[in-house]
Amino acid sequence: MPGPLLAAALFAPAANRSDLLLRLFASVVLSAVLLMLAHKFLRRRGRRVLIVAVTFLGGLLFTLEYFWPTHLVKGRQVNFLTDWIEPATIALSIIGAFTVGLGVHSLTQVHGRLLLRRRPGWHNSLAFFISMVAMFVLVLWDFSAKAKPSAAGVLPFHNAVYEILFNGIYQPLIAATFSLLAFYIASAAYRAFRIRSAEAALMMAAAFIVMLAQVPLGAWLTHGIPQAGPLGYLGFFRLERLGDWIMKSWNSPAQRGITFGVAVGALAMSLRIWLSLERGTFFSQQPEASVEGNSAGSATES
Amino acid sequence: MASFEHANWLLTLIFLGMSGTIVASILLAQRGRGMFIRRIPGLSAIEEAVGRATEMGRPMYFSPGLGSIDITTLQALSILTHVVRLAATQATRVIVGTADSTLLPVAEESVREAYTSVGRQEMYRPEDVRFVSGDQFAYALGSVGIMSREKAASNFYFGQFFAEALILTENGRALGALQVAGTPDPTQIPFFIATCDYVVIGDEYYAASAYLTREPTLTGSLVGQDIVKAALAALMVLGIAGATLWAGHAPHFLAKFMALLGAH
Amino acid sequence: MSQTASPSLWQRLQQIPRGYVYALLAAVVVWQLVWPIRLPIAPSTPTDGVFDAIRAVPNDKLIIISADWDASTQAETGPQTTAIMHAIFRAKRKFALLNLATPAGVKLANDRAVAVAKQYGARYGVDWCNWGYKYGGSNVVIGLAKNIQAAIQIDHDNTPVGKLPMMAGVKDVHDIGLVIEVSGSQMTELWLQFFQGTYGTPLANAVTAVMAPGYYPYLDSHQLQGMLVGAKGAAEMEALLRSPGQGYAIMSAQSWAHVLILLLIVVGNLGYLLARKGERR
Repeated sequence: MPGPLLAAALFAPAANRSDLLLRLFASVVLSAVLLMLAHKFLRRRGRRVLIVAVTFLGGLLFTLEYFWPTHLVKGRQVNFLTDWIEPATIALSIIGAFTVGLGVHSLTQVHGRLLLRRRPGWHNSLAFFISMVAMFVLVLWDFSAKAKPSAAGVLPFHNAVYEILFNGIYQPLIAATFSLLAFYIASAAYRAFRIRSAEAALMMAAAFIVMLAQVPLGAWLTHGIPQAGPLGYLGFFRLERLGDWIMKSWNSPAQRGITFGVAVGALAMSLRIWLSLERGTFFSQQPEASVEGNSAGSATES
Repeated sequence: MASFEHANWLLTLIFLGMSGTIVASILLAQRGRGMFIRRIPGLSAIEEAVGRATEMGRPMYFSPGLGSIDITTLQALSILTHVVRLAATQATRVIVGTADSTLLPVAEESVREAYTSVGRQEMYRPEDVRFVSGDQFAYALGSVGIMSREKAASNFYFGQFFAEALILTENGRALGALQVAGTPDPTQIPFFIATCDYVVIGDEYYAASAYLTREPTLTGSLVGQDIVKAALAALMVLGIAGATLWAGHAPHFLAKFMALLGAH
Repeated sequence: MSQTASPSLWQRLQQIPRGYVYALLAAVVVWQLVWPIRLPIAPSTPTDGVFDAIRAVPNDKLIIISADWDASTQAETGPQTTAIMHAIFRAKRKFALLNLATPAGVKLANDRAVAVAKQYGARYGVDWCNWGYKYGGSNVVIGLAKNIQAAIQIDHDNTPVGKLPMMAGVKDVHDIGLVIEVSGSQMTELWLQFFQGTYGTPLANAVTAVMAPGYYPYLDSHQLQGMLVGAKGAAEMEALLRSPGQGYAIMSAQSWAHVLILLLIVVGNLGYLLARKGERR
């Protein structure tokens, strides 16, 4: 079949270093030429047609591959597009990775400005730069020194500092920040939960039951209620069973309902974007004055 | 049998049915057919929040969540555009903090164009759209720092949020800001409801762009969604009735039909 | 100039300063960690499901523990992972640790595995192993189903997995008896889609309490064999194993923290209702 063969030919790993360099060079040159030609010859309408076409084809690949009938090949259900999916997904990841530097650039800009102009809070920006550079240097050092064996039982200096910074400072900070949530939920619950209506009262009752059912104290409070025997039907009113019933019979269907609605909403939005029907600043026709000045990746202009 | 790698004919039929309904509804709306959308308090409150910031002479903070360029975050950017346009007409600053570096240029472009569309391109400041951090809690704390230093009068949280949501909103509330939030994920909705003044939940989130712009394409899509949901609900009712009535002993014709559909 | 009236007792009950609330909560948690009041813990049905699923794994199959958590959720997912490892070793089964979400969590899960393995005399590479962090999310899961050794290649210590004795004969999804996803994020859906849904491999999960409500529908439909819900799930598993551990310790503190929050809600509502009554008069 031509599809899989073409995919295999296009995306096969490079045979050697020269092959890789040649492919890289050819890709860069081809991309640059195509972009220059597009920029030179396409007007606003042409650019829009190009964007619509690329969007549609990009979405079509995945959609068609999913819905096209398949046949069994070496224990896998495949069709003529299956071999294109993995390279396409990897390509998307690589394109996304190019933008990592943009985040660092943005942070450097903002904090650099604060630091140079000694704005209030400049010491925080200094701490940011020290942390970022220190971590960057240590990770690179640790990565490059990996191949060299160290004395048994002794961590090399760079490894030890990395461990202190990452596992000794960063991880506990993350855990400590997460633990703040306990305090915040206590104050939020105390402040927000007021019985202003019948629905609020119902919700409060459910919250009480479920909160107590989630802890052993709740089970202990109602452990005297029989679960078996002639009065076994009363076992339903044990807090842990009531809580379980609320979660399964009320919460679960509500979650399913929201999930259905969200899924249909997501389908509609995906369709609009795929078919270029979406409207809004990033999708609609741009005003004449701003078209020539705007370009993607504008973070680097300022 | 359908797997998550490929669809079977039933799934294809359902997909074509749902998509066809939505697209048909869009085409009908584009031809001028009027369509009704009920009021969504959370979205109506955006104007109130912008007005409050203007009166107080303080900026606003917008968080598009932790997502990258996905439909949830694109919807958040759509709402951001609306907020910026409103703010620009009232000469109020909007600060945007992103948690994803891929999203940063997209957010910058959205904000810049929003200002330009109302003729206020001079209001755009590059440092107002910034990358805060890719780490969940570092992003939350960084955003809280921004809200605190800039004394944001109104905060908007639209997009994909996880555990950091409560840190953002509780601190925002402590700082006295009016807060409007929206997310399609049910997990964080309770925290937003407890700490924000207005919340947009579930599929109201995806109705936001239609509600705010009233574009025929978008309202048509919204109505199409509702028709699809109604059809799914009707199918569910039929299924519940059938399962209840026949409780495992389905009549022969029904069992054959279910087998044909690939159900067990 | 008029003076505003000082707030009544009922209004003050509604406005207890945040600092006092935080101090009370901290005091309650510290009290219970230092002088715990231990209450019996009865396992729930979802926890029983995880326990039974582990015991139902055939002797010649492997269990995958996908420990997709890091320091942020370790208060819940850490004890859950430990309890699951105890259950697996008690049932004399083998497991492989994996991390698909965050490299920061590899060491945390590995440290727990080393500590638990020591108690049972379990040997690395023979009774358990750690595949480490693998980047790619769904691609890794899809790859695992088709060829485990090609998808994993090396463990977290850079040893080729093919050289580990326990990996002999472990080729693909058909050699996996159970997958247990331990996570504070939505990683269970990956396994639901590409393992359980496609191949019918048994799946269980252990999630933070806030994530649990979203997974009850999967329990109902038996797509999930069982679920550990938060620290309570860990404590319940410890109860099933009759060996109280971190889960038990956390539950004492959590019980009374919940009681405090409920009391605060009652106090706030009391103030609200009585203030309203006073205003009506």
